[in-house]
Amino acid sequence: MATVLQTDKLSKRYGSLQALDNLTLQVEEGSIYGLLGPNGSGKTTTLGMVLDVIRPSGGSFLWFGKSISKETKQRVGALLETPNFYPYLTAKRNLQVVADIKNADPKNINQMLDMVGLGTRSHTTYKGFSLGMKQRLALAAAMLNDPEVLVLDEPTNGLDPQGIAEVRDLILRIASHGKTIVLASHLLDEVEKVCTHVAVLQAGKLKANGPVSNILSAHDHLLISAENLAPVLQLLERLPYVVQFAQEKDCITLTLTEGYTSTDLNRDMFAQGIVLSQLLVRRKSLEAQFLEIIKKDA
Amino acid sequence: MNLLRTEFRKIFPYRTFWGILAIYMLLLLLVLYISRNVMLGGQSMGASMYQFPGLWERFTYIAYFFNLLLGILVIVLITDEYSFRTIRQQVIDGLSRAEAVLSKFYVVLALAVFSTLLLLALGLTFGLLFSVKRGMGAVLGQIDHLSYFFVQSVGYMALAMFFAFLFRKSGLAIIAFLAWSKIVEPVIHYQLPDRIDKYLPMKVFSSLTPMPGREVLDQLTSPTEMLSPAWATVPAMLYIGLLLLLSYLLLRLRDL
Repeated sequence: MATVLQTDKLSKRYGSLQALDNLTLQVEEGSIYGLLGPNGSGKTTTLGMVLDVIRPSGGSFLWFGKSISKETKQRVGALLETPNFYPYLTAKRNLQVVADIKNADPKNINQMLDMVGLGTRSHTTYKGFSLGMKQRLALAAAMLNDPEVLVLDEPTNGLDPQGIAEVRDLILRIASHGKTIVLASHLLDEVEKVCTHVAVLQAGKLKANGPVSNILSAHDHLLISAENLAPVLQLLERLPYVVQFAQEKDCITLTLTEGYTSTDLNRDMFAQGIVLSQLLVRRKSLEAQFLEIIKKDA
Repeated sequence: MNLLRTEFRKIFPYRTFWGILAIYMLLLLLVLYISRNVMLGGQSMGASMYQFPGLWERFTYIAYFFNLLLGILVIVLITDEYSFRTIRQQVIDGLSRAEAVLSKFYVVLALAVFSTLLLLALGLTFGLLFSVKRGMGAVLGQIDHLSYFFVQSVGYMALAMFFAFLFRKSGLAIIAFLAWSKIVEPVIHYQLPDRIDKYLPMKVFSSLTPMPGREVLDQLTSPTEMLSPAWATVPAMLYIGLLLLLSYLLLRLRDL
């Protein structure tokens, strides 16, 4: 698969602050790549540099294997930090300006406005928009010339739950058309729900990167309950693949060694004549893993 | 020219733009209208104010003061791009930094064309109403002053553009623009001999529209050495080029 974006030892220094330290990563075509990290970890700095608005202090990057140029920029649609539009212009006129700069067909404007659900508001001035509408207009602008790659910086920042759901839905819909998406977020849950790959940044350093399923490869957490817990607890003590278990009110939480799944547990329980009334598989929360990754060599 | 079309899309629906332009037009009209009562070069102008062909020199000299307003308009248009962060978005979307500067320079040229045509229209109106001589020769005799005014207008706005790109905030840029053109450089003029300070930018720009009746004043006080309007166009254009280059370098060297 082709590499869409490649950074090599990308660094940025603001005075004494090392905002980004030798970031090397690759974004493959068709992936949804999450840049995950707390506020101030260097996500926006990274995107600003690869989008040509922040000068790197060191290192380099390539888009589609080439240096950045007008041609590569037109293959990338981007939304950095906030939606940026002229407040006194209507949604449609704002997109007209964007279409001029991107050399996009003005016929796409109405189509994009419809796609983000602003078709009926195309003649409203931007300053009258709610935050969610502004964010959606920015998405429409980013997709105006049908780019191969979308770069989105905190696309759900400041939105209400409904707005968040809408934007996420939109991102997944876009990704299903085979687009590559680079997404920066400090919301673990967002990255987990949306991304295929993730890079974890902290204080400008890359802490971990790879497919989301690898980074989240920790043992599954199970939650089980039964009519009578006593025999269950007895059996759990004898099962070799149960790492640990603990009783909580009317259920038991437990962790399995890698390679074993809830199926094994259920089969063994049933073999001993125990019928579980509940069996829930829970991935170890990203939250916990994130903190673990960050603590690792802090 | 596509760049200018895009700029027009941004500014035509902008009320602030029309507001500042309307103030410019009204003030210019007002001052030209009452200027016959004003003492210029030591004598009251009266109806002689509107006599061809000297009208063009007098009108361009008066219009020269209003270039400050055009400069402020340019500052507002450029610093808006920073406060709306649209310049950042446009560079992300594929506008090069050179194009960003050029597109604003095209706006400067368009505004200079507009103000020159406005002055032409006002000059013809006042002249044909009040001038004794109305022949072709009289009307067109010194109309070349309009072209010097055009260069001067571009020069003032180029300086404003540079301050806008330098400070990125409208208040700061406007103060710097006014302070430089009205305080800092005039103070430097006092410190330097005429043969040097006549080449400083504001002096060069003002040499393009010299004060009418200056000869009379020079006889009374010690004469000031200035470039002739025709000669001043050369350093003026060099300054305009330099200001464009510096604006571009500011964009090139700083984060957006």
